[in-house]
Amino acid sequence: MNQAAAIKPALPDSLSLVALTVAGLLCLPLAYVTYMALTADAAIWSRLWTTRIPELLFNTTALALGVAAGTLLLGVSLAWLVARRDFPGQPLWEWALVLPLTIPSYVLAYIYSHLLGASGPIESAWQILAGPDSHLPSPHSYAGAALVMTLNTFPFVYLLARAAFLNLNVSYEEVARACGVSRAGTLFRVTLPLMRPAIVAGLSLVVLYVVSDFGAVSLLRYQTLTYAVYQQITGRYDPTAASILSLLLVIVALIFLITERWFRQQSRFFQTTGRYRARARRQCSPLGALFASVYTIGVFAASFGVPALLLVQWSVSAVSSGAVDARFFGFVWNSAFLSGLAATCAVLIGLPLAYLASRRPSRLNLLCLQAAYAGYVLPGPVGALALLVIFSHLAPFWYGTAAVLVIAYVVHFLPAGLQSMEPALQQVTPNLEEASRSLGFGTAATLRRVTLPLVRSGFIAAWVLMFLQSMKELPATLLLRPVGFDTLAVRVWLEASEEYYQLAAPSALLIVIMTIPAILLLISKDWRAA
Amino acid sequence: MFHSEPMPSIEHSRRPGNPQHDQHRPTVLELRNVSCIYGMDRPAITDISFAALEGEIICLLGPSGCGKTTTLRAIAGFEPVTGGEIHLEGRLVSAPGHLIPTEQRRIGMVFQEYALFPHLRVQDNVAFGLQKLSTDERATQVRLMLEMVGLTDLAARYPHELSGGQQQRVALARALVQKPAVLLLDEPFSNLDPDMAGKMREDLHDLLRRTKTTAILVTHDHDEAFAMADRIAVLNNGRLEQLDTPEAIYHTPSTPFVADFVGQADFIPGTIERGKVVTEIGEFPHQPDYRGGATVVVMIRPDDVHIALLAQSTTHILARQFHGSENLYTIGLPSGRVVHSSEPSTTVYPVGTPVELQVNATHTVLFEQHLRT
Amino acid sequence: MNQYRFHYFGLAALFIVLATGTMPDAAEPDRLVVYSGRAERLIKPLLDSFQAKTGIHVDLLSSGTTEVVNRLQAEGSRTPADVLITNDAGSLERARELRLLSPSATPNSVAAIPAQFRAADNSWIGLSGRFWIVVYNTTLVKPADLRSLLDLAEPRWKDKIAIPNAGSEYLQAGVSVIKAVYGDDRTKQFLEGIKANAGTQVYGKSSQIVEAVAKGQAALGIVNHYYVYRHLATQPGAPIAVLMPDQHEGGMGAIINVAGIGIVARTTRTDAARRLVDYLTSEEGQKQFADLNKEYPLHSRVAADSSLPPYKTTRVAPVPLTRLGELREPAMMLIEQAGLR
Repeated sequence: MNQAAAIKPALPDSLSLVALTVAGLLCLPLAYVTYMALTADAAIWSRLWTTRIPELLFNTTALALGVAAGTLLLGVSLAWLVARRDFPGQPLWEWALVLPLTIPSYVLAYIYSHLLGASGPIESAWQILAGPDSHLPSPHSYAGAALVMTLNTFPFVYLLARAAFLNLNVSYEEVARACGVSRAGTLFRVTLPLMRPAIVAGLSLVVLYVVSDFGAVSLLRYQTLTYAVYQQITGRYDPTAASILSLLLVIVALIFLITERWFRQQSRFFQTTGRYRARARRQCSPLGALFASVYTIGVFAASFGVPALLLVQWSVSAVSSGAVDARFFGFVWNSAFLSGLAATCAVLIGLPLAYLASRRPSRLNLLCLQAAYAGYVLPGPVGALALLVIFSHLAPFWYGTAAVLVIAYVVHFLPAGLQSMEPALQQVTPNLEEASRSLGFGTAATLRRVTLPLVRSGFIAAWVLMFLQSMKELPATLLLRPVGFDTLAVRVWLEASEEYYQLAAPSALLIVIMTIPAILLLISKDWRAA
Repeated sequence: MFHSEPMPSIEHSRRPGNPQHDQHRPTVLELRNVSCIYGMDRPAITDISFAALEGEIICLLGPSGCGKTTTLRAIAGFEPVTGGEIHLEGRLVSAPGHLIPTEQRRIGMVFQEYALFPHLRVQDNVAFGLQKLSTDERATQVRLMLEMVGLTDLAARYPHELSGGQQQRVALARALVQKPAVLLLDEPFSNLDPDMAGKMREDLHDLLRRTKTTAILVTHDHDEAFAMADRIAVLNNGRLEQLDTPEAIYHTPSTPFVADFVGQADFIPGTIERGKVVTEIGEFPHQPDYRGGATVVVMIRPDDVHIALLAQSTTHILARQFHGSENLYTIGLPSGRVVHSSEPSTTVYPVGTPVELQVNATHTVLFEQHLRT
Repeated sequence: MNQYRFHYFGLAALFIVLATGTMPDAAEPDRLVVYSGRAERLIKPLLDSFQAKTGIHVDLLSSGTTEVVNRLQAEGSRTPADVLITNDAGSLERARELRLLSPSATPNSVAAIPAQFRAADNSWIGLSGRFWIVVYNTTLVKPADLRSLLDLAEPRWKDKIAIPNAGSEYLQAGVSVIKAVYGDDRTKQFLEGIKANAGTQVYGKSSQIVEAVAKGQAALGIVNHYYVYRHLATQPGAPIAVLMPDQHEGGMGAIINVAGIGIVARTTRTDAARRLVDYLTSEEGQKQFADLNKEYPLHSRVAADSSLPPYKTTRVAPVPLTRLGELREPAMMLIEQAGLR
C-alpha cells in the first residue's frame, strides 16, 4: 500500500467522528425541547391549542411573509441600483447599505417606538399638517413590526443579490437582448430568475432571523411564537408550555428549511458564472439619478441614518450626565470576546460538517449538516434553558460559565455561517484537490494549501455574520450570562426595558460601532471575489 | 536545382456556391471605418470596414485581444462605437452618439459558452424570443427549428442534461428561430472536443447555407475559418489586416502577420537582382513594386518546399514531426536559418540526413526587409 | 490532519480556561453572589454601599423575577448564588416551596420587619412595599369615576385602559389576591372585561403604561404606585395621578406586594449573606429603599416619602403575602383562560 492510499482512509474517519459528535451536541437542545413537549400533559396541549396556538402561528407566518416580501423588494431593487446603475454617491451607497445590519433589532424597535409612537416626533410633525386630533397608526402592530424587521434585515438580501448581480455571466442577458427582448424584459425573464438561488439564500436568512427574533417583537408588542416562548419562560415557572410552543416553532421553521433545500436542489445547475466580464454601469438620466438618490437615501436614513443619529444624540447626553463609567469598558470587552470566540468556534465546528456534506454526501454526512441547522430554529430563550439544564446535569464543571454562553451562540448562529460556508466549499471542485493530491500532498495538506485558501473568503463572511449576530444576541445572553459578565446587549436591554433610552444609547451605539469594521470586512474586495 | 513554373492566379479561384461576387445580392451588414476605443482594459478596434452580403459567412480571425470580439459586440450593439458607422439591413444602427438597442437590431447571437438559460427547458430556450407570436405559432416554429437541428426528442430537457454539442445546437436554434438579419457567433466551437467540433462545423455550415443566413463568426483558429468562411477578415491589434477569400488569405497574405497567423510560414531574406529575387534557397519571380537592389523577405509555406536526398549537401534535416497525413521536416540551411517542408506521410528520412531543397516558387509573396527580422 | 487536531484541542483548552476563569470562586469568603429580579438601578446602589461598609464584594446578576427563580431552580445544588432578591412575594414563596431558600432571618431583621411581610418560616424577609394602583389621566378622568379595580372591567372603559401583559408578576399577584377575595367567576369576569377594554394596549413594562396614560392613549392604567412618581419626577407637568382603589367601605382594599430577600439554601457564605439581610433591613438600608424608588419602607421606624398616600390610613386587601405562592398557579390558569397575552 503506498503512502497516499494509507492517508486517505484515516482522515474521513476522524473527520466524520468530529462531525458526528458536533452534530450530536448541536442537536441536544432540540432533543431536550422535543422531549419536554412530547411528554407534556395533554391538558396543557389542548389549553394552548384553544387559547394561543392559532393566533401565534398566524402572526408568526404573517410577519415572516411580510418581512420576506419587504426585504425582497428593498434588497433586490437596491442591489440592482448600485450594481447596474451609475448615480451620484453610488460607490458610497454600495457599502453604506450594509450598515443597518449593525443595529440590533431591539434597538431599531425602541427607536421606532419613540419615532412613530404617540406624540413622537413624526406624529407631532403630522399633527402640524393634519390637525392636532389626527393620529398615525401605532408602531405597536403588525405593520410596525414588519417595518422594523424589514429595515433591519433587508441587507441580507441586498448583499447576496448584489453579489449575484455582479457575478452574473452577462452573456445570458446579452443573448436575451439578441433574442429581441427589452432591458426590462431581460431583467424579469432572465436576470432575476437566474439570481433565484442567491435571493432565496438571502430570504432564508431573513425568515429565520424574523422567526427567531425576540427583541423587536417584544418591544413592539407583536405576538409571535418566539416572543410567546420567552414570555412563557420568564413569566411562568413551568417550561412545558414554552417547550410546546418551541416545538411548533421548530416545525414551522423545518417546513420552511426543507422547502428552501428542495429549491436549492432544483436550481443547483444554475451555472450563472462563466466568462466573466465586468459589466459597465449605465449612467442614469438626471431624473433617474434623482429618483435613485432619493430612494437610496430614504432607505438608508430610515434603516441606519436616523437611528444612528438618535443614538449619538442620546449617548452624548448620557455621557455628559456622567452615566458612562469604567464598568462600561468591561462590557465592551465581554461582548467582543464572547462574539469573537463564538464565531471562531463556529467556523471550526462548521468546517467538517460542511466539508463532508459537500464532498462525501452520504446520508449520514448530510444528516449531520442538517442537524447543525437545528439551533437556528430553536429560539434563543429555549435553547438557553435547555443548555442550562443539560449542562447542570452533564457537565457541572462548565456550568454557569461563559463557555455555556459561547455554546449557545454556536448552536444558535452556526446555521447562518453554514449558509455561506457551504457554497464556498461547493465551488471548490474535486479536480483542484485531486491535482494537489497528485502533486504529492496528503489530504490534510491539500485541505490547508488548496481548499482553505479557496474558501477563505466564504469563511470570512461566515465568521463575520456569526460575530455580528452573537454581538447582538439578547435572550440567550440574558438567561446564560455568568454572574458579573454582562455584555453590551444585556446593558442595552436592562436600560431600555426600564425606558431609560438615553442610558441604553451608549451601549447600543458601541454595538453598532464595534460591528462596523466586521461589516466593512464583509464587503471588502476580498469577499467580493468569492 | 530550382524550378519555377507559372501558376494560375489564385485571386480568381472560387468556391462552389460562393456568393461573394453576386452583385445582385443585397448587402446586409456594413461597417464603415468603425472604431471602438474605450479604456486600457478592453481591446480597441480602429478603422474597421467591411460588408457582408446576404447569405455570406465572414470569419473574424485573429489572436486573442486583437479586437475581433469587440467588433462582434459592436455589431450586436453591446458596445457603442467611438467612430464610424454600422449599417444593418440598410439602417444606421451604430454611430458615435447613436446606438439602436440590441433587441431592435434583428441579430442572433451564439456565445462561446452558449449561455443557455439554465432555468428553462430546451423548448422554452428556443421559444424565448418569440413572445410576440401566438402560442400556436410559437410552438410550430419551435418544433420546426428543433427538427432542423435534430433535437426534437430533447425538447423537454434542461440544458444541464445535454451534451456540449447538443447545447450548441440549442443555442443555434434559439438564435436562428428569430430569423435574424445576421447571426453572430463568438468562438462557437472552442468548448467542443476536436472531433465534435469538426462535425459541428459541417452541420453549422450546412444549416447556414440551407437557411441562407448571413453570419459573422469570431475565431482564433484558422482551420475553422478556412472551413467555414466565404471570406476571412484577419484582425491584429485592432486593425483589419486583410479581408479576402480563405485561399487568398493563405496563399497571398498581404502582411507577414497574416502569413504567419494562418499557417506555418518561413521568411527568407533576399535581394532584388536582375528582375529576380535572389535568396539562399534559390531565385523567385520578382514583383514590380520593388526596385532593384532592395532587400526583401520571401514567404514560403512548407507545402511549397520539397526535399530530395543529396549526400554532399550542407543542408540537413534537423527534426521531423509526424502529423498523420504528412511529415513536417525542419531543415537547417548552411546559413543557420531553418525552413520547413511538408512531405507525404510515408516519406521518412532520419534526422541528420543531408538533403537538397526543391522550392515550388510559383507565387512569390514578398515583404520589405524591415517588416521582418 | 495534525494541524487540525491541534485546532480542536486548542479550542477545548480555551473552553477550560474560560470555564475556570469565569467561575465565581466558592472558596472566597468575602464575596457574595446576588441574583436579583429587581431592576439593577434600584438595587445596585444599596449593594454598593453595603460593599463600601463591609468590604464584602457583591457580584450582581439582574434579571426578571421569575427568570432568576427559574435559574436558581435549574442550577439546583450547583448554583453560584448566595442571595435571592425579587420584587414579588409570590416568587419568593415559590422559591421557598422549592426549598431553594434557607431560613434567612436575623434577630435584627425580625425585629425590624413586621411579621406580615415575612415568610412563615422566615425563609424570606420583605424589604419594601408597593401598591398595585390605578393611574389616571387627569384631563380625561375624574377620581370619582372609579372606586374599585374591578370597575375597570365595565364596558364604559372600552379602549380606554392600559394593562400589563400576562407575564407580569404584578398582574399575577394582583389576580391572585382578587381570586382569593372574590372567587374564580368574578375574577374571570374581571379579566375578560379588562382584556376587552384594553384591546391592543397590553404592555410588557409598567413604565409604558404610565407613558400611555400620560399621553392620553389610555385614560387609565394599572401599575405599581412608584412608576407614577418616577414619571412625574422626570416630567413634573404630566397629567397623571394615582388612584388608590377599593378604599370604600366594604371594599377589598388595595393590593400590596413586597420586594424581599432570601438566603439561598446551598450557600456556603451564610455569614456574609446574613450581614446583607441585616444591612438591607436596617434603618439605613430601608431609608435608601424609600428614597431610591418611592417604595414603602417596611421598617416600622422609617417613614415613607411624604408625597405617597400614608400606609397607615390605607385599607389593604386581606390576603397574606405568604399565600401568593400557592395562589400563583391557579391565578395564571385564570389569566390564560381569559386569553390575556
